[in-house]
Order: sequence, then structure tokens, then C-alpha cells
Amino acid sequence: MAVPVQYYLVLSAFVFCVGLFGVLTRRNALLFLMSVELMLNAANINFVAFSYYHGNLTGQVFSLFTMALAAAEVAVGIGIILVLYRNFADVDVTTATTLRW
Amino acid sequence: MMLELLVGVCLLGAFVTFALPEEYAPEAALGISLVPLAVSLYMYAVFDGVGNALLGGDPAFETQYAWLTLGRYDVTWHMGLDGISMPLVVLATLLTTLAILASWTPIDERQSQFYGLMLFMEASLVGVFGALDFLIWFVFWEAVLVPMYFLIGVWGGARRKYAAIKFFVYTNIASIVMFIGFFGLVFGLGDSIASLDLPAVAQALRAGELGGLGLLSASQVATLAFVAMFLGFAVKVPVVPFHTWLPDAHVEAPTPASVMLAGVLLKMGTYALLRYNFTMLPGIAQSFAVPIALLGVISIVYGALLALAQSDLKRIVAYSSVSSMGYVMLGLVAYTMYGTGGATFQMVAHGLISGLLFACVGVVYNTTHTRMVGDMSGLADRMPVTVGAFVAGGFAYMGLPLMAGFAGEFFVFVGTFGADFAGAPVFTSVGMFGIVIVAGYLLWSMQATLFGPFESATDYEVSPAAVHDVVPLLVLVVFIIALGTFPYDLAFDAILEATRHRARPVRVRQHRPRVEQQSRPRGHRLRRLAGGDGRVGRVPRLWRR
Amino acid sequence: MYTVATGHAYQSTLYTWVGGEAVPYELTFGILLDQLSTLMLVIVSLISFLVHVFSLGYMNDEDEGGLARYYAELGLFSASMLGFVFADNLLMAFMFFELVGLCSYLLIGFWFREAGPPSAAKKAFLVTRFGDYFFLIGVVAVFATFGTAAFGGPGVEESFPHLAELALDGEASVNTFGFAPSTWFTIVGLLVLGGVMGKSAQFPFHTWLPDAMEGPTPVSALIHAATMVAAGVYLVARMYGFYALSPTALGVIAFVGGFTALFAATMGVVKREIKQVLAYSTISQYGYIMLALGGGGYVAGVFHLTTHAVFKALLFLGAGSVIIAMHHNENMWDMGGLKDEMPVTYYAFLSGSLALAGIVPFSGFWSKDEVLFETLIHGLGDSPLLLGAYAMGLLAVFFTGFYTFRMVLLTFHGEPRSDTARDPHGVRWNVKVPLVVLGTLAAVVGVINLTPVHTLVPAVPEFLHDWLFHGPEGLNGEHYEELLHDFAGYTKGYPLGETLTMLASAAVSLGLALAGAGLAVALYRGPEPVEHTDKLGALKTVLFNNYYQDEFQVWLAEGLTARVAGAADTVDVSGIDGVVNFVSSLSLFTGDRLRRVQTGIVSNYAALLTLGLTILLVAFGVMQGWFL
Repeated sequence: MAVPVQYYLVLSAFVFCVGLFGVLTRRNALLFLMSVELMLNAANINFVAFSYYHGNLTGQVFSLFTMALAAAEVAVGIGIILVLYRNFADVDVTTATTLRW
Repeated sequence: MMLELLVGVCLLGAFVTFALPEEYAPEAALGISLVPLAVSLYMYAVFDGVGNALLGGDPAFETQYAWLTLGRYDVTWHMGLDGISMPLVVLATLLTTLAILASWTPIDERQSQFYGLMLFMEASLVGVFGALDFLIWFVFWEAVLVPMYFLIGVWGGARRKYAAIKFFVYTNIASIVMFIGFFGLVFGLGDSIASLDLPAVAQALRAGELGGLGLLSASQVATLAFVAMFLGFAVKVPVVPFHTWLPDAHVEAPTPASVMLAGVLLKMGTYALLRYNFTMLPGIAQSFAVPIALLGVISIVYGALLALAQSDLKRIVAYSSVSSMGYVMLGLVAYTMYGTGGATFQMVAHGLISGLLFACVGVVYNTTHTRMVGDMSGLADRMPVTVGAFVAGGFAYMGLPLMAGFAGEFFVFVGTFGADFAGAPVFTSVGMFGIVIVAGYLLWSMQATLFGPFESATDYEVSPAAVHDVVPLLVLVVFIIALGTFPYDLAFDAILEATRHRARPVRVRQHRPRVEQQSRPRGHRLRRLAGGDGRVGRVPRLWRR
Repeated sequence: MYTVATGHAYQSTLYTWVGGEAVPYELTFGILLDQLSTLMLVIVSLISFLVHVFSLGYMNDEDEGGLARYYAELGLFSASMLGFVFADNLLMAFMFFELVGLCSYLLIGFWFREAGPPSAAKKAFLVTRFGDYFFLIGVVAVFATFGTAAFGGPGVEESFPHLAELALDGEASVNTFGFAPSTWFTIVGLLVLGGVMGKSAQFPFHTWLPDAMEGPTPVSALIHAATMVAAGVYLVARMYGFYALSPTALGVIAFVGGFTALFAATMGVVKREIKQVLAYSTISQYGYIMLALGGGGYVAGVFHLTTHAVFKALLFLGAGSVIIAMHHNENMWDMGGLKDEMPVTYYAFLSGSLALAGIVPFSGFWSKDEVLFETLIHGLGDSPLLLGAYAMGLLAVFFTGFYTFRMVLLTFHGEPRSDTARDPHGVRWNVKVPLVVLGTLAAVVGVINLTPVHTLVPAVPEFLHDWLFHGPEGLNGEHYEELLHDFAGYTKGYPLGETLTMLASAAVSLGLALAGAGLAVALYRGPEPVEHTDKLGALKTVLFNNYYQDEFQVWLAEGLTARVAGAADTVDVSGIDGVVNFVSSLSLFTGDRLRRVQTGIVSNYAALLTLGLTILLVAFGVMQGWFL
């Protein structure tokens, strides 16, 4: 018997909210990155769930793309974090504000 | 291809000058600028344009190539000169050469950039006056702003950044308003035009092809477009109350840039007004005649009064430019032969005269390092040639007969006094009062600075200016006197040829027997001036009656 | 000249300034040689020549600098005036009129290294420019009304005076801008008159002329006798056919003339500098010419213009000679006793003075008498208002006699009152020759028009009268008299019969002139004259300050105009430019506030992002009715 699609959606929403919470409250750049990953994966869950639900593989392919993208993003993100650390001796995202205006 | 050659030489020269080392730049720029001057004088000599380029006339040096397609509209590279633009092109090339010569003394840093920008501006100016396709024209129109922005912003006086930004933003916003207005017309014309070619647009408009647009009726579109374009160009002219960028720009700009700004850039505004508002939408223009004439008169009197209140020589000349351009407005709105032709003539005349006065102020400033009226007196004692040119320029500005200013102003007055709109004689008479005020402030400032016992508040050695400083002044004086003495043969016939369609005959009293009116031979001007025979002219196609 | 002398005239268009089929009317330059313009040509050339000769003495012998400039300007001055004189249309006249103004500016300001001359030059140009403003409107109005500005002459089909005449008769239609033709022609005439009053220094535009004495004295002679100032009244005579159509314009001319004659004469009474006295006498004499023209005495006006040119040039050159002798001191109270030191100058000057005062038989008597007589008879006819102008003119005769002889006595008689007067600087032939020529002419030039004698003894010819009456059609005195009669309603009245009226008029004016001269002789005779003018008390102060006309004009220029200009500047800088700057500041300010949203803290951005998303979701929800 199949798990109803709503369960997946609730799970996905929960994971997304965790990620969102992390983005909004954390100041550490690494945690930031991890939170973003969580949000991306919440989207992935949705893709896969609907793909399964509709019997259409496009969603799964799309989630593969998303994973690849997330990996690339992590690479870039960690690169930025390294530069941030090198410049500010810290990975707090609120200290780097010089580019604001 | 002559026009392309002209633009091309200037543009190429600009890049060459930009790349040259500092020490060669002034001479090189002068040499390069002599080429377009010679070319334009040659073009003037062989000029054989007939009629108005926008209204089915046959412009000289016409070229037209398909270039690109924007949606429904073809953009063509369409250039050509008629009697209105030909004198202005000569004015632009002449003043550029003289301004370059006048920069030798005051400009001593970043010379290659400076002269490169001057040549770039010349290219754009020639393009503005020569272009007959809207898009081409607009590109050149905007391109003029860029060098002027840098000329003011880099080589200017103390408040140069303020002045440069004010100049650029003000005129650019005006351009956008004008652009919207013009495209209102284009969209209103709908399928009746297939290109942005100015003659096509003008003829479609005059043929009454303008349709409604959205909720607006055709006449509303025309009115709104007229107002938008008028506002856009009024800033450039400048018409009171859109004039405040001008004195700031003039005061801060280096003198050669002032010469170009007053001499040629302001003419772009009135030239465009004539080409767009007054040629394309004559009906609307005539229904707005009274307010426009009022603006013109206010510009004249108010500008002159402002000039009276200044003590910076450059500000005086700047405000008097506002005043003089008011005459042009007055002439344009008259819709008579003398009015329109006189307005165009006045553009050229004022270009030469204000150029001369700015150049004189520049020479004075180079020597004394001050432009304040109270800071010096009796310069005639030390720099007689410069002062002579200054006095000549001053009297030309006051409208002394046999100098160009009088011819232009008199044509405007004669044309406007008998014009059809309500109160024309009153507007003309009030506007004429400008000649009294202009005499007031120019005589006052000349007396205070040039005459009396010699004094100077600054510690610089005041000695006669160098030859290359006074040559531009003398050349301009010669041109002004020549144009004032032979206005018809030198420019006014060509101008009338291009503007005659617009004027309805004003009360022609036919009981004057035409004394054996021989047909004027058109054709090579120099040959005609020399008394030689020319070809018998082609009769303008559109308005043959 | 020969053509004209045989009763013909010559007109030809020389250059088309603006022509072609496109223009509604051509603007041309041409020459018109008729009786009036040839007469004027002779006067101008003669005076100009003598002034050039005199300049050799006044400028060259005094080692002035800038001689090349001086003679170039002097030549240009004469050329402009000649161009003005033979102009065949109003536009050309205006253009040369302006050039005359330019030359006077240059010449008055000749000594530009001093403070005074440039200022006087500026004033001369500005005040006349004010008059020319009206003139220019007039020219433009003439073109707009008639489509031609030709004065007339042989071969000219249409001239504006002729067209105006036809229009008043209803035979031609011209654009009169909604006015009745007669009203409009009066307005146009008065507008042109503005220029005349400016150049001819008529009240209230007379203030520039005394200041113009800052220029070299030969220039003053030229300006006053034959060129600049004469240009104004010459213009009235030139287009007399137009003015004769309008009784109002004529009345204004007559009153301006009469008032100026009296007004300037009273100011001349108290002046100390010899050239100042002469300056005011010039204003006054041109007032007479205007009076004559306005009073219907066309010939009288031209006659007085002629005689005045001669004797005023003489007086100025004589004054110049005195000034050379006095080492450029012009104060009459430092002179005295020069009679014995410089007899040539004295007798020439005396001849001019007698002419100026109008003592029989010197030229001034004949012309001034005719001026007054013509005005009187027309006043006694159907235009009684002219009598007021006549009375002022008559009264001025007395003052003229007075100040003239005051000047002569102070300068040449009595004991020398300064060292330079005791040992004056000699003058050479180039000063004396012009003086002698002009001195003789001043005495005898009246014979060209001995109208009173002619009336008594018809065998004595009236050369000038005949000369001017035989001009080309439409431009001769006879035609003008008809016009005056038909359109202006001028008729002649002789309460005592023609001869007796004339004799009475002559006797009255001669009597007044003699009385004035006699009073001056009585007061200023003797070796040590005293300043009797002090007895006038406050009146003298008023007169000495020229009725505060200068102060008034300075107030107009500085108090009023400069203040208006200042106010305009304030409005411009704070008002109009204020709006521009306000728009710019507003955008800068809002930008500045809005950018504060950008804190640079990533968490804030994220929060905003979420907030925005939530708001959008809620908004869409509400619109879709989810929460209902």
C-alpha cells in the first residue's frame, strides 16, 4: 500500500521550515549553508513525491539536477565562506556588510 | 557621401587624438579639425539643396541605406542637408576649429582626451544636423551630451561636478520626454509609415494620417506629442523656465566648451523645434502660438534682466543667450517667411556672436584669471586687439546693423510683427525691448572691465594675448560682419528656400508691380557670388503653384 | 548735385540686402538724391571737412595718442551720416542711424583710459538706444503696414508716405492692425519719433548730450552741427510727407520742440564750462527745428537746420580753439580777456554767437524768425494749440540771447582770471581756417532764405524756399503744404495782415533776443564779472543740476532696473533653480532613506524575503477566498 502523497508533503514542508528557521536565526555561515541545503532537499522531496504520484519520471530527473546544483552551490558557498573567514577572521554573515550600498 | 566623410573624419580624428601623446594633441586636433572645416566649406560652396528636406525637398549630399529593422519599422541610414541644416553644419565645424584653437592656452592637462572629446562632439553635432532618420538622429543627439558632460566635469571650474550632472540629467530627462512624444506620433501614425525616416513621418503627419492611440483621439495624440516634444526641446534651447542648467554649465565649463555649448549645442534645441514641432505639427503650433510667443518674450526680457544682475562675465553672456534664443522662439512661432527664416538665421548669427563673446571672456580670463566685472578695469590699455574684438562682439550682440545679429533680429521682428496670432505686434514690441536691456548690461560690463584706468584685482601680468588666442576672435568678427552685410547671399536665400513652404503669404499687396523679377540662378554659390552664371534652379517639387 | 540743381532728383537701388521671390517684401539699400538730401550732403560734407582740418590742430598738434583710430572713427562717422542722408528707405536710414550711434559711442569714448569718457559714451549710446527702440518698432510697423519703407522719389512706385496718403483717402488698403488708419499712422509716426527724440536730444532723452562733451571737441562739433543730433530732425524732414498726415504727431513734435527749446535754454544759463553752455544751446536749437517741423514750417525747419549747422560748428570749433589756448581747461570763470590774445577766434566766435542769439542780420536771425513766424501763423489759423509751443519757443529766445552773451563776455572780455588765460597757447592755421570759413558763413548764410525781405521786396529771391519746393513729386515743400492743409488742418492766420504780422513777429523775437543779450551785457560787463546766477538761489541749484533729470535717469537705471533685475535674479536662483534643485534633492533624499533597507546583513534579507513571500501568499489567498 502506498504512502499517501500528503505525508511526503508534510515532511517536505517540515524540512523546509527547519531550513528557513535556520536561515533566519543562525549567523554562522556554515549553518546558513546547511539550512539552504535543507530547503533544497525539501524541494527535492516534493519532486520525487509528485513524480511517484503522477508516474512521471521528469520530477526524479529534476531532483537529480537539483542535487548536482546543490553540490555546485556548496562548492561555491564554501569558497565564499573561506574568503569570508580570511577577511574577517569569522564566519558570521552579519559582519560582512560593506557591499550594502 | 560628403556628410559621412565629415562625420567619419571627426570620429576617426577623435580616436587618433585620444591615442596621441599629450604634446602633439593640440596641433594634431587643430590639423584634423581643419579637414571637416574645409569639407564643410566645400559643401557649402557646392550646396544645391532644394526645398525642405522633411517635406519632399531635395536635400544635398543625400544618402540612404537600409540598416536594420525594428519590428514594423525600418531604420535607414539617411543623411542629407537642406537650407536649414547647411549653415548650422558650417557653424559647427567652424566653431569647433576655433574652439580647439582657443583651448591651446587654457587647457594644460589631459590634453589628448580633451581634444579627442572636442572632435567627438563635432562628429555628433554634424550628425545631429545631418541625420534625416529619427533613430540615427537620436543617437547623435544623445551622443553630444557625453563629450560635453566630460568636458564640463573634468576640465571645469570649482563646482564642475554639480554643473555637469545638472546638465546631463536635465537634458537627458528632456530627451526622454521628447522621445516619448515622438513615439506617440509614430504609433499614432500606425500603418501609414513603415520607417522612422523623418521625411516619411513629416509627410504622413501633414497628410493627416495621424490616428488615435488607445483612449486618445488623433488631435489629442498630436497635442500631447507636441507638448512633450516642446518640453523636451525647450530644455535644450533653453526656454524660461527650463534654463537654469545653462548658466551653471557655462560658468563651470572651460571656455572652449562654453563656446561650443552656446554656439552650437543650444541651436540643436531650436533646430529640433523647427524640424519636429513646427514642421511636423504646424496646426498645433499655430494653436499654441500665443503661449509659445509669451514664453519667447519672457525668455527675452527675463533673460536680459537676469544678465543685468550678474557680475560674472560668463554668466552675463550665458543669460543673454537665454534672451537671444527667445528671439528664435518668437520668429519660429510667427509662421511667416521672415519669421521662420529669421529665426534660423538668428541661430547661426547667435552661434557666431555668443561664440565670439565667450571666446573673448576666455582670453580675458586666461590673462587676468578672473571673470568678475568689479575685479578689473581698463583692459583696453593692455590688450587692445582682444578688447576690440570684445567690443565688436558686444555691439553685434546689441544688434548693430551690418552685423549678423541685427539681420537675424530684424528678420524676426519684421516677420513676427505682422504674424497672424493674436497680439503679435504687442509681443514683438515687448520682445524688442530686449535690445535696450542687452545694450544696458553689455555697455555697462564693457565700460567697467575694458575701459577706464587700468586696474586688476589679481596679481597676474596682463599683456596682449597670444596670436593663436586672438585669431579665433578675429575670424569670428569677420564672419559676423560678412553675414550681417550680405545676409541674403551668404545664408538667407538657402534658409528661405528650405522654410518657404511653411509661411502663408502675409498680406501680399499685389499692386506693387514686380520689377522684372529675374529668376535667381541657383547652383554653385561661389560662382554666383563671383558674378558667374549658374544653373537655372530646379523648382521645388512640393510647393510649385 | 547737378541733376538736383536742375530740378530733378535721382533714386536708385544699389544693393538688395534681402530679396528673392520668397519674401513678401525686399529689403534694399539705395540712394535718394533730392533737394533735401543734397542740401544736407553739402552741409555734412562741409562741416565734416572743416572738422577734419580742425582736428589736425586739435589732435595732432597736441600730440594725442591713437590718431589712426581717431581719424578712422571720424571717417566712419561721416560716412555713416552720409549714408543716412541719402538713404532711400526707412530701414537703410535706421541702419546708418545706428552706425552713427556706434561712431559717436567710439568717439565720445575716445579717451578710454580715463573714467569719464567711457561712461559718457555708454550713456549716449544707451539713451539713444532707448529712443531707437521705438524707432525700430516704427520701422517694423511701417514694413508690416505698407510692405515698403521707401521714402519716395522718382521711379519709386510706392512709398509709404504716399500709401498712407492714399489709405487716408480710402484709395488703398493697408494693414492697420485694427486701428483707424489715421490713429495707426499717428502711432507709427510717434514710434519713429522716439528715435528722433533720442538722437536729436529732445526732452526727455536729452541727458546724454551734455555728457557727450567728454569727447574731443572737434567730435562735439561734428556731433552737434552736422551728424548725430542733426540726424534726428533730418529724419522728420525726410519723412515729412508722413508726419504731415497726422495733426497729433505734428502737435507732439511741436510741443516737444518748444518745450525742449525753453527747458534747455534755462539750463544753459547757469553752466560754467563753455562746452556745457554750447551743449544746452544745441539741445535748445534742435528744439526750434522740431518746433518748426511740428508747426508746419518745413522750409523753416530745414533752414534752421542749415544755419544751425554752420554756426554751431563754428561755436564748437571756436570753443575748441579756446580750449587749446587754455590748455584744456574749459571753465569759463578761468578765462576772460581772450579777445586781444586770439582775435581770429574772437571775431569768428562773435559771429557765431550773434547768429545763435538771433540778432539781425546774422543767419540765425532769419531762420529762427521764420521758425517762430511759421508756428505763429499756423497757430493763429485753425490750430490754436500751436500757440502754446510758440510761446515757449519765444520765451527761449530771451534765454538764448542771455546765455550766449554771458558766454562770450566771460570768455573773451574782462580781465584774464587765470594764468593760462593771461598767456594762452597759440593756435595754427589749421584751426583758424575753419573758423574763418565758418565765421563768414554764419554771418551770411541767411541770404539763402530772406523770407521777410522777400515779402516786402518780391525781387529778393528765396533760394531755399524755391529749392525745396521743386523737389521730386511727393517729396517737395509744396506737396507738404497741401498735405498739411488737407490732412492736418493747418491753415494760416494773419490777424494783422500778412506783412504786418510778419514784421511784428520778427520784431518781437529780435526784441527778446536783444533784451536777453542786453541783460547779459549789463550783468557780465566789466573787467571782473561776478556770478550773478548765485542770486537765483535754489533755482540755480535746480538748473545747475539739470532739473535732476540725470538723477532721475540714474534712478531709472540703477534704482529701478537694477532692482528689478536683482529681484529677477533672486527669483531665478531661489525660485526656478530652487525647484530644479528641489527635485534633485528630493530624489537624492528618498534614495538615501530607501537605501537604509539594505543593511548588508544576510539574515535581514532572508527575513524580508520570507516576509514578502508570506505577504504574497496571504494576499493571493485573500483574493482567492481561501480563508472564507
